Amino acid sequence: MEIPSEIRDLCENPTAILSRYRDSGVKVIGYTCSYVPEELMISAGLQPYRATNIRADPSALTPSFICPFASATLENMIRHDDLFSGFVVAHTCDPMWRLYDILKKKTSKPLFLLRVPHNTKNELSLGFFKKELVRFKTFLEENFEVNIDDDAMFNSISLCNESRDLLKSIYMLNSNNKHKVEASDRFRVVLACMWMPKAEFNVKVKGLNFDNSKTLGDVRLHVNGTAIYESSLIKIVEESGGFIASDDLCTGSRYFWNNVEESDDPISALSYRYLLRTPCPSQSPLEDRLDYINFMVREFQVQGVLTFAKRFCDPILYDSVHIRSMLSKNDIPTMVIEYENPAQEIGRIKSRVEAFIESVGG
Amino acid sequence: MSLPRRRSRILQTTRKIGELIMTYFSKVSDAKSKGKPVAWVTVFTPVELLYALDIYPVAPEHFGALCSARGFIVDYLEEAERCGYSESLCSYSRCSLGYVLSGMNGIMPPPDILITFRNSCDVYVKWWQSLHMHLGTPLFVGETPYVLAPEDLDNYVLDYVVKQLEQLIEMAEERFGLRFDMEKLVEVLKLSDKASELWFETLKLRRFRPCPLGGRDSASDIFPLVVMQGTEEAVSFYEELLREVKGRIGRKEGVIEDEKFRLLFDGIWIWHAFDLIKYFEDKGAVFVYEPYSEAWAYRLDASEPLESIARKILSMGLNVDIDIRIERFLENIKQYQIDGAVFFSNRSCKTWSATQLVTADILNKKVNVPYLLFEADMADPRQYSEAQIKNRIDAFIEVLSES
Repeated sequence: MEIPSEIRDLCENPTAILSRYRDSGVKVIGYTCSYVPEELMISAGLQPYRATNIRADPSALTPSFICPFASATLENMIRHDDLFSGFVVAHTCDPMWRLYDILKKKTSKPLFLLRVPHNTKNELSLGFFKKELVRFKTFLEENFEVNIDDDAMFNSISLCNESRDLLKSIYMLNSNNKHKVEASDRFRVVLACMWMPKAEFNVKVKGLNFDNSKTLGDVRLHVNGTAIYESSLIKIVEESGGFIASDDLCTGSRYFWNNVEESDDPISALSYRYLLRTPCPSQSPLEDRLDYINFMVREFQVQGVLTFAKRFCDPILYDSVHIRSMLSKNDIPTMVIEYENPAQEIGRIKSRVEAFIESVGG
Repeated sequence: MSLPRRRSRILQTTRKIGELIMTYFSKVSDAKSKGKPVAWVTVFTPVELLYALDIYPVAPEHFGALCSARGFIVDYLEEAERCGYSESLCSYSRCSLGYVLSGMNGIMPPPDILITFRNSCDVYVKWWQSLHMHLGTPLFVGETPYVLAPEDLDNYVLDYVVKQLEQLIEMAEERFGLRFDMEKLVEVLKLSDKASELWFETLKLRRFRPCPLGGRDSASDIFPLVVMQGTEEAVSFYEELLREVKGRIGRKEGVIEDEKFRLLFDGIWIWHAFDLIKYFEDKGAVFVYEPYSEAWAYRLDASEPLESIARKILSMGLNVDIDIRIERFLENIKQYQIDGAVFFSNRSCKTWSATQLVTADILNKKVNVPYLLFEADMADPRQYSEAQIKNRIDAFIEVLSES
């Protein structure tokens, strides 16, 4: 199965679609992470667009020791400011929090900070987060002069659930011990969902057939990390004989794993789904995240867990100690690869990945 | 450029801090041996609530600063790194994790509960989770949402934090068989408020020329505000300090004899290179204002105990919107007649350092304050280049001399 060239091209240069939106009069909201409910933007008639670090260097406005991903994402948001109608930043980790501060001083566009509670397993946090989503809805209504009614939210929830179902069905083709979908293809499809109009995406993905797909590697791996937009990292694993059967990435399963309940109270349903979804490494309790990784390891029958840790990404770097400790009890080998700029570190990353795959496969 | 070394004076009251710290740690150890619960807390946890519950707070951040200042932090850092913690992680956290992983043979007694409120950084959550994983001790993670506007101190944000404080009380009562006494909390809050009042009054006196209290004083004098808020000892300390500072003003006596430049310091102090403050003073530059020194002081209203505590932990310096922070800088630059700003870009405190470049640039454009920004680590001496930083300071002093 060949991934359509439109999706391939989009993943190489996602900002190209921003010009298309501008030319057709579509208002675009740049958002930073998968804790931001796209449904609310869609119900306001706006196009959500996940901001990335693709084709950008870290911003000169931040110190050298700040997460290079957050810094380069900031750089892209500022650089393409004219193509956006507004921005939404989720407060998940320190760099994203401060990205909001800096962006506030650098953009004249409407900007919203969604305060995501870090103690997710607390009824009080759910109540607070619901109020944050109401504030977000009001922000969209006031700044874009629209009225977001329940019907609009029902429709957008249904549309996004359909996208998530499609992504999950592709993902599950690799469950148990199956080798169906190469990770590089799967990642491209997930990323496209964050940039394309959902209705268009759903039609395109329904037409994909992975029956005759070929995979390169056969050592089954789980990849742990935050957001990975660099296809080169995935390629290194595949070319080294690895098969990424599962992941817990923000640009992977964490984006689509849970659906929003289609209930009478859309805001409550959204707050429940987005706060209690598969957790990001920045969240608490850690045990929930460890349980999720354990589940993935069993469900996808992986032989090893590879952590791609962006340099200075505190949440991943703390977690990796505990993930290793947990998995070693089940004799699942792990490796942490810290990296800053894959393009400049290919040789080092490749030799470590090869060594890991060899030890796991052997 | 070389300038003659100047005599600079540390306050007599400041010199008593070392003894106060040791007495405090010995009290906590005594309490632990008598079966009282000890809590390891992040430094913007409401210790007043813990004192009212008869729980003894210890701050691993303070322990990290102490280990760094006294030169025995590296062993702990290396132990944490050996166990997998990256050297790019907060050095305070690596210090306490190394302490735990090497058997806790030191002045910090093992905790009975781990408590954090995520106000100054998200690292708190990860750090406390990690301690919890190693120690198996109960963990309380409180959320203190970023304060976007003053209204947040009265709306659903405040309500959320107050209710979490109630959860913490309930957890402590259940786990340790304690009984929360609101009257006792009110008494503790009155003492805490008094200490803050005294400290604010003392800090205001730094507006005088010559400045009577320098960076070496303020860096040490904040200790009672961090973990002893709500105690008689803290109030006595600040009363004595205020008396001494007023005495200096009466005698027109400053930190240095010939005060040439009045500086702002933004960041946590570099504990392993504390003499750097003296290096500035030798060049006629005295620190007269630091956001760090104000961070723990807050006027509490004992008629609204929990709301007041919630407002305090929400309002800590880094947890309020950047525009509010910049306004505070501008106001204080005026009030303290500041000639230049020193921004310490701290590899361990990303949440503090991330916006410094943007902030410095705005201050420079708005009020024409020259600034120096340099990089190091607050507690890890291995990430510090003395010669390079001193060269930068020399150049900065030259700029100040010419402006």
